[in-house]
Amino acid sequence: MDPIIRLEGVSTIYEGERRPALRDVNLNLERGELVYVVGPNASGKTTLLETINGLLPASKGKISVCGLDVQTQGRAVRCEIGYVPQDFMVEPGEPYTVLDVALMGRYGKIGLLHRPDEKDREKAMDALRLLDIDGLAERPMGKLSGGQQQKVMIARAIAKEPKVFLLDEPFSNLDPESRTRIPELIAHLHEEKALTTIIVTHDIRKMLRQCRRVVVMSNGRILVDETPEKALVTLQSGSDTLLMEANQ
Amino acid sequence: MIWLEIGIIQRALLGCVLAGFLTGLIGVFVVRMRLSAIGYSMSHGAFAGAALGVAISANPLLTAMLFASATAFLIGPVADKARLHADTITSIAFPLNMALAFAFLTLSPEIGLSSQVASVLWGSIISMTNNDVVYMITLCAATLAITHLIWKELFAIMFNRKLAEADGINTRPIIYLIIFLAGVVVTFSLKLVGGLLIYALLFNPASSVLQFLEDMRKVMIVSPLIGVATSVSGLMVSLFLDLPVGSCIVLVSTAIFAVSVLLSPKRRRKMENERR
Repeated sequence: MDPIIRLEGVSTIYEGERRPALRDVNLNLERGELVYVVGPNASGKTTLLETINGLLPASKGKISVCGLDVQTQGRAVRCEIGYVPQDFMVEPGEPYTVLDVALMGRYGKIGLLHRPDEKDREKAMDALRLLDIDGLAERPMGKLSGGQQQKVMIARAIAKEPKVFLLDEPFSNLDPESRTRIPELIAHLHEEKALTTIIVTHDIRKMLRQCRRVVVMSNGRILVDETPEKALVTLQSGSDTLLMEANQ
Repeated sequence: MIWLEIGIIQRALLGCVLAGFLTGLIGVFVVRMRLSAIGYSMSHGAFAGAALGVAISANPLLTAMLFASATAFLIGPVADKARLHADTITSIAFPLNMALAFAFLTLSPEIGLSSQVASVLWGSIISMTNNDVVYMITLCAATLAITHLIWKELFAIMFNRKLAEADGINTRPIIYLIIFLAGVVVTFSLKLVGGLLIYALLFNPASSVLQFLEDMRKVMIVSPLIGVATSVSGLMVSLFLDLPVGSCIVLVSTAIFAVSVLLSPKRRRKMENERR
């Protein structure tokens, strides 16, 4: 079976930079796999996610998602990806309600010149319900706490009914109770719908319990692509070692 | 004679209503999509184009539109590709357009500061023709139709362009379309306030409304209404005080913006949050 996500020798350079943020990355994910990506700051974790969904163009290599070439069919690819960006915060006073934001997740799928219908609204409400924030649907997004806003962003990704989940530090602002519940919910969705999921995180304990595969990144390279236990050993060897290895 | 004057005032009033509505509507996109620098450059591009029209005895409306569109088509993609900061665009485009405008106006010295030149500079609502009114009604209908057809995409881009792109929306052509529409609206509104002041009418109503409302749909309805109210009040003030219409409209719109900022519940909440 072809992998649902395939990266072959992918490098990504930000405009104006000389050093690639992602260097010769090879990564394959089968349908329904859950992979945690860990690594020190600026190791290329966010760049990896944004290169997979085509928000950042790869300067070298090939990427395909769901059998589609990201470089040439980026928009079709992004319609199949539920993406939660890192530290996304809406300023107080922004004129958007929680339901507006959740519903926007479906816009790409609805297509140009079509309007969201009752079914779309129901799917957005269902996603909010899953995260226990359906009661906030009519509230302005900017009036919510950081944790609540993060839940809305996850609900938005769920409402899209994607084939792939790309979650960038999705649990960082959550309260302690949600930090246990939401990862479980994501793991449940991943199992129930066979969602291929990549989660970038700093929380190593979570990954030990919830996945069978961990990717450790440093300096834009994948250093380790292993079981959580083996990855943990690498991580415990310290970031200096990681940097040295990445530079080799 | 009196019927002629009534006709002129009626056209002026209709022009104010239409231009206020259009600038108030398109201004929401310009402000929310952070296209202010491009809008600013384009308004002065239209001014330079109109100046060229006057200088070469061509239709100033046509040359203004050509220049505004050229500015939009040049600046939009260039800014996008070169990742130029908004300040950089404005800093280069504003003096360039001004230099071109004044150079064009001196191309034909016999024109000097004729009424045609003055109308390009400060606007001349009383020179509004029936054709101008028809053009503006058509433009209103086209802008409303486009807004209705791609509202979902506009709504998402105004929230966050990167997220809209991540959701599978092709944001670039939509943003270029808005830039182009803004250019056309600016061109057709030149007769109202002139090339030097038109930007205020594009920016102030939307910015005033955004101080209060927390629902984008309501913003889209109220901003054009504020644009209309501003233009009509400005016209009235100008008739009573015998001052230029454009200046009065901009003074009224700036006063509305200042009062909105003073009374803004959003601004007060923000300040309270910062104090905490």
